[in-house]
Amino acid sequence: MRLVRPLENLIDQLVKLPTIGPKTAQRLALFLLKVPEDEAKALAEAILEVRLQVFPCSVCGYLTDLDPCYICQDAKRDKNIICVTEEASDVISIERTGYNGQYFVLNKEFHVMEGHDLDEINLDSLEDKLASGEIKEVILAFNPDVDGEIMARYLASIAEAHQVKVTRLAHGLPVGGDIEFTDELTLRRAIEGRYEFME
Amino acid sequence: MKIDQLKVTNFRNIRRLEYQPISHLNIIIGKNGEGKTNLLEAIYMMSGNSSFRTNTDQDLINYDALYYIIRAKYNCLEKDYNIILNYNLNVSKEMKLNNKKVALSNDELLKVVLFTPDDLYLVKGSPQKRRYFLDFILKQLDAEYKLILDNYSKLLRKRNLLLKNDQTNSKNFTIVNDLFLENASKLILLRLNFITIYEEIAKEVFKEINNNLNNLKIRYALSFPVNSDKINLDILINSLAKQLQAKSTIEKRRRSTVAGPHLDDLHIYLDNRIARNFASQGQQRNIAITMKLAELYVFKKIMGFYPLFLLDEVLAELDNEKRQLLMDLLINADYQSFLTSVNIDKLNIGDAHLDSIVDGSLV
Repeated sequence: MRLVRPLENLIDQLVKLPTIGPKTAQRLALFLLKVPEDEAKALAEAILEVRLQVFPCSVCGYLTDLDPCYICQDAKRDKNIICVTEEASDVISIERTGYNGQYFVLNKEFHVMEGHDLDEINLDSLEDKLASGEIKEVILAFNPDVDGEIMARYLASIAEAHQVKVTRLAHGLPVGGDIEFTDELTLRRAIEGRYEFME
Repeated sequence: MKIDQLKVTNFRNIRRLEYQPISHLNIIIGKNGEGKTNLLEAIYMMSGNSSFRTNTDQDLINYDALYYIIRAKYNCLEKDYNIILNYNLNVSKEMKLNNKKVALSNDELLKVVLFTPDDLYLVKGSPQKRRYFLDFILKQLDAEYKLILDNYSKLLRKRNLLLKNDQTNSKNFTIVNDLFLENASKLILLRLNFITIYEEIAKEVFKEINNNLNNLKIRYALSFPVNSDKINLDILINSLAKQLQAKSTIEKRRRSTVAGPHLDDLHIYLDNRIARNFASQGQQRNIAITMKLAELYVFKKIMGFYPLFLLDEVLAELDNEKRQLLMDLLINADYQSFLTSVNIDKLNIGDAHLDSIVDGSLV
């Protein structure tokens, strides 16, 4: 069945969003037709506004509307420790843990299978920071897979050139998890990464 | 591991089928194109692997349906399982184990050993066939192996890509190469350990099948030299690194990686002579049957239970004597097996369960 052009156009646009399939897109489009006009306009304006005003911070790469971002400007945060992540969404997760150091976001996907190159990642501002000698520790917060491993090694080689301590997030049991139901691979990592409990 | 019940809907030419196999040998007979192999394939799909006949699930759906569903009840180590595999054109593939959605890689799914006429060429065929054989067993036995193999193939492709783009002097290449060497060596070590256990079992099975006449030997053959009596991770990493270094000009010219587990092989010897060149056709078939049976036994040894044994049209390729030999083995076995055949003339099938299939239905 053919839909009218504007409706079809909206569905085509919505389908491009992650996790949205053709059926959901159609439902969303029909929903947008039903809501009061000002609500639909508010959504459209919010999209335009976020595109206009939000950009990656020139220092750390985290998403911000002022430069440098509020994390970089915060004088109370620890200047000696920096956490490197792949995406801004990782920062949001790590912020919730109460981590109080600096960040560096690559904003660049890296997948071995897709011909990405490590050289495409812009590390200038990180290297400046490392060169200044202020940073004592780099935390690598990458996914525990082969892509994460490659990036971790790449960044570690850069940090080591500046004689900075490099750490990587531990992998193992989830908190509140159950050993019985933990998959074999995770459990193996947990055993490898065990630590001394009693001093 | 044993299946008690199987229900298949809209799978290939099977519109609706209920099947109650017995706990040892089940024989499915039928003319060509009636759906024998389809039934076997349906069981195979429950292992979470993609089909051994096609890579696209769409091909598996009955031509006038939009989905297929396969349900099975099985038990393993005294635990009951209920499994549902559902593929829907609009949604996708979904596996449910005991009413919980699980990944296709879940390690509690069915475990299978598949024996097709193609496997009779294990001895004579290409090294690729033997590597595939090895990988298939090890992936089912060891989740770690599966992960390393997966990473290894990614790294291999990346490494080849960098060779192709002439980027061997980049930092990219150094990091990828280091990881490649580590994964390659871990993979080899796991394979070597496995072959030691496997060979011991295969030797015994071969004696039984071959009336104690000849001696079977299976060795893992590396695609690069190791100058040491001992083998461990570091030695393997260094040896492979050295070989790749020495062959770097050839690699650049060929634009691909010239050594590593993706080029290793299994060498099979009969009385200390390479079986591929010296064993007769009949002996090669005996070895192939041995290797498949040993696959079952090694599974039992490592995991503590037998997988299902699926034999697709293998009888047609064997002479009468070997047919009866295989049949006797299956009748008296502790594992559950499913065998398809066009006919079973002149064979003693003991108390095996016999079904015939016509146009996708059991009659």
